[in-house]
Amino acid sequence: MPGACLIGWAARLIPPARRPAWQREWEAEVAYAWRSMNRTGPPGALAVVRLRLRILTCVIDALWEKKETMKMTGLSNDLRFATRSLVRHPAFTVIAVLTLALGVGATTAVFTLVDGVLISPLPFDEADDLLAIRHQGREGRDPLPMSQGLYVLYTEQASSLAEIALWARSTVNVVWEDEPERIQAHAVTPSFFDVLRSEPAVGRTFTEAEGGPDGERVVILSDGLWREGFGGDPRVIGRTLDVDGVSREIVGIMPPGAAYPDQSARLWLPLVVDPAQAPLAAFGAGGVARMAEGASVESVDTELRGLISRLDVLFPDSGAPAFLAEVGLTPVVLPLKQELVGDLSSTLWILLGTVGFVLVIACANVANLLLVRAEGRQRELALRVAVGAGRGQVLRSFMSESVVLAGVGAVLGTLIAAAAVRVSLGLVPTDLPRIEEIGIDGRVMAFTAVVSVACALFFGFFPLLRYGASNLAGQLKDGGAHGATGGRERHRLRNGLVVAQMSLALVLLVGSGLMLRSFQALRAVDPGFETEGVLTARISVPTAEMEGWEEAAGFFRTLGERLAAQPGVEAVGFAAATPLGSGLPYFSIEVEDQPRAPDELPVFGSNNRAEVGFLEALDIELLEGRTFQPGDGAEGTRAVIVSETFARQHWPDASPLGRRMRIGIPEEDWYQIVGVVADAKYQDLEAQNEELVYWPATIGRSDAPQPTRTMDVVMRTAVDPTGFVEVLRREVRALNPRIPVSNPMTMEDRFTAATARTSFTMSLLGAASGIALLLGLVGIYGVISYVVSQRTREIGVRMALGATAPSVRGMVVRQGLALAGLGVVIGLVAAGALSRVMASLLFEVSATDPITYGSVAVSLVLVSLAASWIPAMRAAGVDPSRALRAE
Amino acid sequence: MARLFSLTYPTAAVLLAIRNGHRYGFDVMDATGLPDGTVYPILRRLERRGVLVGRWEDAEIARAEQRPQRRYYALTPLGEESMREVEARFPALPRLFQPESGSA
Repeated sequence: MPGACLIGWAARLIPPARRPAWQREWEAEVAYAWRSMNRTGPPGALAVVRLRLRILTCVIDALWEKKETMKMTGLSNDLRFATRSLVRHPAFTVIAVLTLALGVGATTAVFTLVDGVLISPLPFDEADDLLAIRHQGREGRDPLPMSQGLYVLYTEQASSLAEIALWARSTVNVVWEDEPERIQAHAVTPSFFDVLRSEPAVGRTFTEAEGGPDGERVVILSDGLWREGFGGDPRVIGRTLDVDGVSREIVGIMPPGAAYPDQSARLWLPLVVDPAQAPLAAFGAGGVARMAEGASVESVDTELRGLISRLDVLFPDSGAPAFLAEVGLTPVVLPLKQELVGDLSSTLWILLGTVGFVLVIACANVANLLLVRAEGRQRELALRVAVGAGRGQVLRSFMSESVVLAGVGAVLGTLIAAAAVRVSLGLVPTDLPRIEEIGIDGRVMAFTAVVSVACALFFGFFPLLRYGASNLAGQLKDGGAHGATGGRERHRLRNGLVVAQMSLALVLLVGSGLMLRSFQALRAVDPGFETEGVLTARISVPTAEMEGWEEAAGFFRTLGERLAAQPGVEAVGFAAATPLGSGLPYFSIEVEDQPRAPDELPVFGSNNRAEVGFLEALDIELLEGRTFQPGDGAEGTRAVIVSETFARQHWPDASPLGRRMRIGIPEEDWYQIVGVVADAKYQDLEAQNEELVYWPATIGRSDAPQPTRTMDVVMRTAVDPTGFVEVLRREVRALNPRIPVSNPMTMEDRFTAATARTSFTMSLLGAASGIALLLGLVGIYGVISYVVSQRTREIGVRMALGATAPSVRGMVVRQGLALAGLGVVIGLVAAGALSRVMASLLFEVSATDPITYGSVAVSLVLVSLAASWIPAMRAAGVDPSRALRAE
Repeated sequence: MARLFSLTYPTAAVLLAIRNGHRYGFDVMDATGLPDGTVYPILRRLERRGVLVGRWEDAEIARAEQRPQRRYYALTPLGEESMREVEARFPALPRLFQPESGSA
């Protein structure tokens, strides 16, 4: 008979009681059919196949049977039962589900950030092979990114690198239908797209020749620019675009998405490198490379160090190797992802840890609630055991409630997380890398699922521990929880959970307290300039528009005069860089009375170039001498102004006024120091004050002055400065309609942006610890209330015997305080150990700051006092006669 | 009458086949032309709801034919009652079945 084996196998799916009958039925049917087929000689092949197919359907029958029986006795029955019992207790269920949803939601939201920024690979082909290559000097004090000379050297000699590319940010003026616009452009070597393995959507990338000295003038558009500027027309390939007054042929269009270092580039220009004269020591570009097969970050680092140590041999005719050796040039080779994410990773991991704590607290709360419920169900469960329910069945009924709660909590939590991620992406510091890659994806969902299962196991475990089936028979015997005092044993678990909650809440409160103190310290930093009522914007005068230096310099001066004449404008100035912007160029300076021998380290400083009125407009305090006047600069008085830190560094005991210095090029003219001004924060608020030099906007030899063509305008206004953006645009347009105004920003915005990361971390930690505190207090309140309700009889007896209301109140409050106090002590120890990981996020506050620890501990005890006060009042109000009669 | 089962076309066809004497699982498959895999789950469900009752055929017959006893299905009184609804809902369906004398 065919199929006997299959039927036997399928029968195993059937519950044992019904198995023989099921198997017999199928075997009889098959046997009958087989006999009928063989009655008139051997059956046809087709008939046999049809019979075999029919036998195969016994598996379907068996599976249906299995599903049906599972419904009757199995898991889904448990879940249905659990759901029904949860629906019958809506208050408990709503509180438990919301608590969980909050915990799961917060954890999922932060994990989404962590996943998008730290875990998921960069959107490039074989992204693990990509490296960022830069350099540093003077043991990390000088950031020296990449120079063209080193690029040529590495391209030719470094065998551990398959390919290397340079990139540099710039802003360019493009002209659309006579409308000028200033946009972000990246200049890249042709190898750039090969390193990243980025393919153009239309057209091609740059050829090697286009990156050479006589290359064609070409440009590649970003997807965004292509759509906005050309309506997404693929026929733009071959057309020309006016970039900085030069017409360039459009050769390609890059697809949206994959870009490095960020999505800011609206177009790409070839970065022209002449291998014959590539400067070795001009560090103005970023480096990105792809490792050769078999290479590692370490092997690349070793090879580059080797090449740098032989620079003097490789470039015998250049002075640069000696200079680089003095500075102590060393390569910095990092996986590209690490370079992009930077110091954000510690912030994100701390946040994930924080919300993890919140989740644990939430679970502890739910576990406590479940314990209360389990206590109420003791008799029911004991009865079930008594009438023969298996131990497993009782355990399962406990677990299935946890599973249902965790499931609903997870779904709700994911919704909360989706909303939170959308909201928080609007709040994060604008420099958050990879922001466009963040979203809830499969991996995040898997994470949430695992977290929820872990939660269910966690809080389902406590009732099991307490009311495992082995204890239940005893419960039935002594009548459950109706003894007069209840006993210590029963509360130990719940007390333990509350203590854990309190200590976790304290750790989080300490964390957010430390962030708050850092934030305060950061806000209190004197930036060295006026932040209120100041507007800045970038203005660039391309050579193609105004060739002569007088024209360019004159443009800014005329514009300054016209702006100053506007009503409401108090002061106007221009400078190459403004504070709290992208920082200042850093290069060597020669100081006349402090000559350096050729083998000695030169003087370095940060350099700005300022027009008349700049220091006044920002209200940077003049400490000595004078500020710039009309006539200062290459065409007149060679005047220079230094910052307080620069002056103190070089002339600690004397006045720098009258001394001379020059930019570290021998042919330059000497400039006389005419003033000393207060320090100002150009990079960020945390940084030390820089040794800073203000040069006039027009420098260089008197017969060939070099004007500064791109400057920030600074306008101090009597009223809200944002209204002056239009005034500024109007005045610039009146002078030359082809010169755009970009990036208008108030100084207050910049100040807020400079504190954004600290305030972001602070608000998230603050929110997390607020939730933790609330949950912890609900925990204390719940436990004390429950204890009071269980001890009503005992309290009644006490009061009948003469205990006063205050003494009863004191007894209850003391119990709450004991829990809080123990939690605080454990929490303080844990916080002391854990806060060290936060050290890198703190500013001018120690990770073990006693003020923070003390105030958090005291306030936690105080609010716990309040939380146990309410049940204590209820206890004191017990009417002895009613309490005693209640049994 | 309260509905005990959802009266879909396959369910109706199975009930009609049984009333017309196709009483064994495989016979029902042949008579209704339903996909083989659907018939047994319907039979089991109807039996569970008390519309059908399954019985083992007479042991004598099986022994005479030297094969195991087959299990046949018959309508319960409840099943007979529900046939009215079957006929009302699927008036054309009975014509598909030629009454035939069952072998049970």
